[in-house]
Amino acid sequence: MKPFTRALGSIAIIALAGLSGSAQAADDTVKIGLEIPLSPPGDPAAGQLIRRGAELAVEYVNTVMKGVSGGKKIELVVQDSQGKTDVGVAAYRKLATEDKVIGVTGFFHSSVNIAVNEVAKEIGVPTIATQTSAADITAKHYEPAFRTHAIDPIRVEAFLEFTKKMGYKRVSMVAETTDYGIGISEEMEKQNKETKAGLELQKITFDHAATDLTAQLLQVKAFKPDLVINIGVGAPLDLIIDQATTVGLLPATPMLVSYDAPVRPQFWKLHEKNGAGIYFIAYFSPKQKLSDIGAWMAKAYKEKYGEAAIYSSLNGFGDVMILAQAADMAKSTDPKAIIKALETGTFKTWADAPVTFPDAPGVYYHNWSPPMLILHYTKPNEDWQTAEIILEHVGGKH
Amino acid sequence: MYSTELLVQTLIAGVMIGVLYALMALGITFIYSIVKMINWAMGEFYMIGSFAQYLLVVYLLGPDFWWVAVPMAALSVFLIGAVLEPILIKPMFRQALERKDEYATVVTIALLLLLRNLATGIAGPNQFTPGSNLGVVMLGPLPVTGARFAAFLCTLAALTLFYVLLKRTWWGLALRAAAQSRIGAQTSGVDILRLDQIAFGVGVGLAGLAGALLAPEFQVYPTNGVVTTVKGFEIIVIGGLGSIPGALIAGVMLGVVEALGAAFIASPYQNVYGFLLVLFVLLIKPTGLFGERVRQA
Repeated sequence: MKPFTRALGSIAIIALAGLSGSAQAADDTVKIGLEIPLSPPGDPAAGQLIRRGAELAVEYVNTVMKGVSGGKKIELVVQDSQGKTDVGVAAYRKLATEDKVIGVTGFFHSSVNIAVNEVAKEIGVPTIATQTSAADITAKHYEPAFRTHAIDPIRVEAFLEFTKKMGYKRVSMVAETTDYGIGISEEMEKQNKETKAGLELQKITFDHAATDLTAQLLQVKAFKPDLVINIGVGAPLDLIIDQATTVGLLPATPMLVSYDAPVRPQFWKLHEKNGAGIYFIAYFSPKQKLSDIGAWMAKAYKEKYGEAAIYSSLNGFGDVMILAQAADMAKSTDPKAIIKALETGTFKTWADAPVTFPDAPGVYYHNWSPPMLILHYTKPNEDWQTAEIILEHVGGKH
Repeated sequence: MYSTELLVQTLIAGVMIGVLYALMALGITFIYSIVKMINWAMGEFYMIGSFAQYLLVVYLLGPDFWWVAVPMAALSVFLIGAVLEPILIKPMFRQALERKDEYATVVTIALLLLLRNLATGIAGPNQFTPGSNLGVVMLGPLPVTGARFAAFLCTLAALTLFYVLLKRTWWGLALRAAAQSRIGAQTSGVDILRLDQIAFGVGVGLAGLAGALLAPEFQVYPTNGVVTTVKGFEIIVIGGLGSIPGALIAGVMLGVVEALGAAFIASPYQNVYGFLLVLFVLLIKPTGLFGERVRQA
């Protein structure tokens, strides 16, 4: 037994040395949390796109910037929120308390982001919303909550500008009963009243898990709208387009999709026959100027994935870059120091515009929004990069 | 806003979707009738059927031959079920297990998680569609996609064929005997374990058929079977576990109630109306509308 025991002991010592070695290595890395939907009922396509951008940011920081805070490499720790609030909250807790990340970004579903921020308020690790637009994410003025995405008031401003430009009077909103869907539809009702836009609005809501929206769309058809605003996310968005075509709403009645899903490659695979004519929100166009890091990212993305980077990836890249820059400015991984750096610093992102997180009133608190575009597909299989730009809206009153 | 046209359209839409959901319920109730267990992974077999349909149409046959792909997809799911049953379910009967129900629950939920995560890993996050070249069909005042109408007709044909096979063939007789009494069927010389394998394969094959038929309508992605499974279980509770006519009638009832509720009461609670119907039926007839009380030793 003695030689055996000796061998076991040696193995144990080697293992412990390895562990302490990796612990030491861990001190040399700065961890950034990425909480994204990677499985349904979340939108996993969005999650994957955000992840691509985030991974490129890690590559940029570690190879081009040579690390942060005196050469420390950054490391991405990824968690799947599944688009569910309970899972998202658990994921944030793990990232903040076990993985000890300096910040968590990547949020795509407003419901998840809102729930996580309630916990972030207690734990104190900052969150940066990548693609969530519900007002409550920053309107509650929680110190750790930040956002680099369009917010509902600006999105709805763009909707109203569009309806005015096109002369639409009767607008039907088909919205899922999530924080995102309800938030946008209520904001639309509010702004229609406050700005005296004079639109006749119909609000039809549906469960995000619904598989058949025929009954709802028949009601929309009976309303005879000038425009249908599609406020579904993921599979419901596609279901609305397809079933609206079946009941005869499309293509006769214009449809505006509330976010940039139509720029994804799979849009034309699903809607080859009924995608032409769709209007949609976008947050980026190749005609916009990119910053130097944005240009690096766009080139690297194209080389790696064989397709042009879209907003989800660009903003995923930008948010990780912002957290890395904040760590550099703070010269610390303490969450309080990171939050202070975010509040007081000016950051580079993919867009050719500096990012700041002002202490502004209402929903504009800790918020930076890219300009919002409305694009229009005029023919089947059209490349989003050449789609007609109907309007570019720069919103936000501070 | 109420109108007669909207009412008629909603009724037709409800009947159609109800019949399609009934196919899923039929698979669940059939497996229960013979094997005496609930297969919680039915949604995943639906999903496999939809993926099989997608692959066959897009990469092999083309959208015009969807009708060739459908039975092929259903058959492939039947074969998967027939292979899995001896591995996962047969031990329930071969060994002297005290708690068969719990065993079946654990095993089929584990299978559900395995299949779902495997599909997510292989297929990735995107949705797919096999597409359809069938044009829109007018059913009275309701425009319906050709794919959905075809699925509806195929479902009715499948249900009829299934009923005829059960009533008129030796295999059907053996299956009905096993449903009444496993021991009685066994003492009559029926290979009950072989029958379980066939029944399981047929049950999941029906789910696969539903997935294949609905692939152009509800798209193809790893968790597309979740909601149809829930509907399937609602239907068997309403119709009665083990009742085939009950599955069809309950399916139609569920489809109509949900559609009417969404159209004329409040659309966000579409799924709630179905559960309210379930509660109502449980209150008035706990065994389901066509279910029967059984004694079990």
